Amino acid sequence: MIRGHHFLLISLFIISCEKDDICIEGSENTNRITIGFLDNETKNPTGITLINVKSIESDSIIHEEFSGGSIKLPLKVNSNKTQFLFNNKETLDTLTIYHQSIHQYLNRSCGYISNFLINNQTEIIKSTGWIREITVEKDSIFNEEKTNIFIHY
Amino acid sequence: MKKKQIYLFIISIWLSTNMLVSQTELNSSDSLVKKDKLLTINKLRLGIDLFKPIKSSSEGDNLNYEFIGDLQVTENLYLAGEYGLIDRRIEDENINFNSSGRFLRIGFNYNMFKNWVGMDNSIYLGLRYATSDFSNKIIDYTVRNQDSYFSNLVDSEYQTIEYSDLSGNWIEIVAGLKVETFNNVYLGLSLRLNKLLSHSKPDNFDTLFIPGFNKVTDDNTFGSGFNYTLTYSIPLRKKK
Repeated sequence: MIRGHHFLLISLFIISCEKDDICIEGSENTNRITIGFLDNETKNPTGITLINVKSIESDSIIHEEFSGGSIKLPLKVNSNKTQFLFNNKETLDTLTIYHQSIHQYLNRSCGYISNFLINNQTEIIKSTGWIREITVEKDSIFNEEKTNIFIHY
Repeated sequence: MKKKQIYLFIISIWLSTNMLVSQTELNSSDSLVKKDKLLTINKLRLGIDLFKPIKSSSEGDNLNYEFIGDLQVTENLYLAGEYGLIDRRIEDENINFNSSGRFLRIGFNYNMFKNWVGMDNSIYLGLRYATSDFSNKIIDYTVRNQDSYFSNLVDSEYQTIEYSDLSGNWIEIVAGLKVETFNNVYLGLSLRLNKLLSHSKPDNFDTLFIPGFNKVTDDNTFGSGFNYTLTYSIPLRKKK
């Protein structure tokens, strides 16, 4: 007579060997927007020093005492609008970015990431503080290699 | 917690198998000589899975039923099948979604247990071909993001994603036992090992759960499941 429990033991073995899915480090990830700073007269990349950068709805600060030629900021994955407050020498300008958030499925363990398309038709709202002009250089965000938006000041 | 249940189940099925087997060995000498017949359609058994509704209420399923049946065709061979309905909210690692559908398994069981006179228990091995059609609705998910300044949770306020007309099919090996506890009433346990053959691949999502098959993993097409069943036998011939 065939012993049922041989089969069961094998089953037990297979069940115990079920792997846990882990999202591998270095898998694709949601990228940030890259914002560069240009001198409004010479149109040359010019470094800037900001007191801080934060979201308009939140008190917590993304970057404290930022200094450099370009800054990377997260966009909202669950909205078509992300607004930032740039504090330059206590002058606060609001940058409103309209974008599409395009979610891309990777696999079970990593889930979704988001890519973005900056909405070119919509003018990016700016205050009349220190920011003079805004230009969109590259409207798609599928990586962080290129500068997407330039702030002229 | 699931693993613990599986272990308990396996231990219980093993113990009862051993008990039944030792019974058989004791009495193999005085087993009955039966007449050779090509077909012995004696009984049709219909029943339900007892555990599914209990499990579903504890897991918050909207629906989880499984109906089972087998038809004796020869002394030890049974045509067997299961039909089930599942509507379940699945909380996966990154994605919570709803899976709703039905499945049908068709195959046979072969009984390896020699009964005493008047007894009708069975220990069987079986094979099934199974198919399921279902739909998925994504409830919410957390976007993988290196930056967590903003919330990365996406729910139906942002977008609703639904997939219908999904399907999967697989084969199963079944091992189980059925014990006649009252006249014509059987309690059964079975363990099944599944091997996924194919499934649909929705755009920008994947099949993570198939009703009747259970969880589908990224790099493993095997699955498992078990049933606790209660069946009633409809006698097709009068017992002599």
